Amino acid sequence: MAINWKTYQADNVWDELIAPNGRARKGGAALKAALGKLDDSELLERRHAAELAIRSMGITFTVYSGEGSDTIDREWPFDIIPRLVLKSEWDEVTKGLIQRVKALNLFIDDIYHKQQILKDGVLPRQYIDKSKDFRPECMGISPPHSMWAHICGSDLVRGGDGTMYVLEDNLRVPSGVSYMLENREVMKRVFPELFSDYLIHPVDDYTTELAKCLRSLNPNSTRSPQLAVLTPGIYNSAYFEHAYLANAMAAELVEGRDLEVGKDDYLYMRTIQGLVRVDVLYRRIDDSFLDPEVFNPESALGVPGIMRAWRAGKVALANAPGCGVADDKVIYTYVPDIIEYYLSEKPLIPNVPSYRCVEKDHRDYVLDNLDKLVVKPANESGGYGMLIGPKASRKERDQFARQIRANPRNYMAQPMLNLSTSPTLIDANAEPRHLDLRPFILSGANHYVTTGGLTRVAMRKGSIVVNSSQGGGSKDTWVVDPQ
Amino acid sequence: MIDRTLSSTALRTYWLGRYLERAGSTARLVSVNANLIIDLPALLSLGWMPLVQILSQEEEYLSLYGDKKNAGTSTANRNERENNEKSVVKFLLSDQRNPGSLLNALAFARENARTLRGSFPRGAYEHINEAYLSAKDLLQEPLSRSRRTTGLQDIIGHLDLINGFLSSTMLHNASWQFYRLGNFIERADMTTRLIDLRTTNLVKSASDLEPFTVIQWRSVLNSLDSMQNYTICMQNPVNQEDVLEFLLQNDDLPRSLMRCLNTIRNCLRQLPNNTEPLELVNNMRRQLQRARVRSLKDDRLHKYVDTRQKQLFTLHNKITNQYFPKS
Repeated sequence: MAINWKTYQADNVWDELIAPNGRARKGGAALKAALGKLDDSELLERRHAAELAIRSMGITFTVYSGEGSDTIDREWPFDIIPRLVLKSEWDEVTKGLIQRVKALNLFIDDIYHKQQILKDGVLPRQYIDKSKDFRPECMGISPPHSMWAHICGSDLVRGGDGTMYVLEDNLRVPSGVSYMLENREVMKRVFPELFSDYLIHPVDDYTTELAKCLRSLNPNSTRSPQLAVLTPGIYNSAYFEHAYLANAMAAELVEGRDLEVGKDDYLYMRTIQGLVRVDVLYRRIDDSFLDPEVFNPESALGVPGIMRAWRAGKVALANAPGCGVADDKVIYTYVPDIIEYYLSEKPLIPNVPSYRCVEKDHRDYVLDNLDKLVVKPANESGGYGMLIGPKASRKERDQFARQIRANPRNYMAQPMLNLSTSPTLIDANAEPRHLDLRPFILSGANHYVTTGGLTRVAMRKGSIVVNSSQGGGSKDTWVVDPQ
Repeated sequence: MIDRTLSSTALRTYWLGRYLERAGSTARLVSVNANLIIDLPALLSLGWMPLVQILSQEEEYLSLYGDKKNAGTSTANRNERENNEKSVVKFLLSDQRNPGSLLNALAFARENARTLRGSFPRGAYEHINEAYLSAKDLLQEPLSRSRRTTGLQDIIGHLDLINGFLSSTMLHNASWQFYRLGNFIERADMTTRLIDLRTTNLVKSASDLEPFTVIQWRSVLNSLDSMQNYTICMQNPVNQEDVLEFLLQNDDLPRSLMRCLNTIRNCLRQLPNNTEPLELVNNMRRQLQRARVRSLKDDRLHKYVDTRQKQLFTLHNKITNQYFPKS
């Protein structure tokens, strides 16, 4: 027994590896053949080896168990069959992503200065005024290179006709990149021989590029700026990643209590030798917890006075406070207009068609078609708080309709996409499972896009929820040249 | 060069060193005591309670298992002795409710190592994680004696490997010094505790019981992994005078008090702002060099060791005040 490719069938969706005629897509033949040669026990052995590697490498993520502060540290769920992307396609995607973050950064910078885009009526002012993530405290600030969103994670999905769409842009504290890097390490341990069949473009330059990007933000005249990564602490779901990145960049991993802002408005960390200045802080906590003097006064995670230091130009914060204003799912619907407005270019990667509940005709359509739509709140992440219409019960839909009517600004809706699938090892056979792809885009003195990204896969049959907090797994993503 | 080690990193590294050392000591104590009990006639057997006393955990132990009266004394009958073995071993190795149990020490070490991933070599976390996971697997169920012995050896092996790994891969920077400070303060503490307890409980030296006091001293040496070294260095059969000199003053023995103090001094010398703790450690060294420990007996021995312990505690406090975050 082995994988039975003859019975493998992706129903009416685009499969990343297998074309409708049952043959491998361009570039996929070697992978399909290599997998086909493994018998059941070999397949399961590889999977077991991957699990062991993940366990002993301590690749974990933390799940909130609901009530209180109880958390569970889980081993990272991983599927050993990689997902392929052709290099030629990836080069195009890269251009499109850079176009997108350039426009988004121009947009944020405009919003915190002249607000020309509002004055020109391209985007209604009320969206900004009512945005939870618009921070008046940031008005008039000019961060280095006019860049605000230095690290962006954009989610890509592929529809039934093979078109790649941007599903959302994560500009606040996007996570997942360390898993992209670790997935590759695990694959090298588990399937070393596959790497000789392919020219797989490496992913491990990300941390070097990230360090370069952060250093380019240095506001102080030091030759080698002190970098630090600010984490909410060990119980945060992405703690593993914070430690991983700090380690790889030789930056200090700090918590709020390790930092203080001096009378001179510089940011310092507390060391065994006394205070040492921090020049660039890669912060992995949300704006609202960043500075109890300015935002949530209850926050014990942040650093009192850090906004003062940032506004004085004495420390760089990545991402810049306030950049979440472009990470709003309603603002998302305007990104194609934003690209055209600032760059005078057509968007290279399309948005998923979307409806804004705040506009009456859109809202009426959404309310009439809840059973066909996915409705998302403007400011949630991790797949929380959304309605998947076709899978929801009547009662859930009615309740959601009430929420939409009560606060239309907070919702947008999209048709239920038939996310593409890729073969995934289920027991000892390959079955199609839906997936997305999260590349990471860096913006400092220059732009950089990861080679591929983090592929997240819904392990349950038919499910399109790929979030690891809700039963999603992940795959290594191979950007390959066709043989 | 400015040392950028965070105070909070120094604190966690220090405790990582202590927890790992403690886990090893506990594992050795339990496996050595099992042998001691086999070697001593039932009448003289001190049972398992002394291990709890060595670790100063009588109160915690009795509050959890206290209903078994006379637990662990030689008057207890065979059944009670066995029950007692079970509960003491559980208490020391795997009881979640005992913050000082081997498993909890490893869990704390792992938690600290997890927060230290930024400043430790990557493999360190893997090894510490493995030590924890294998101890957890092993200690999940009640163990047969033979399984316990081999299992504890495995855990000790993991811990030795971690120290060796760190020593050969980690930068010998400030973090390393704090790790070693944790190791050696914990180790000095354990060595003095063992001497103290075994002397208070020592079989009164009637001449016909002489062989059994020797057995007890041997078990002290074994608990410190130092039997072979004793033979090499002292070239004498085991006797109290030589053992005391060896364990307290021999500078070549990795677990002697002198060796610990010397290592602690060397660590402190590599750190900034070390005046206060360094002064104390130098005093302790001078006192130990001058002391005539061979002749210490009974109450005087107890007092001597007790004073060393108090000094170690003061040293811990001085290090805490100097380097760690003010809470």
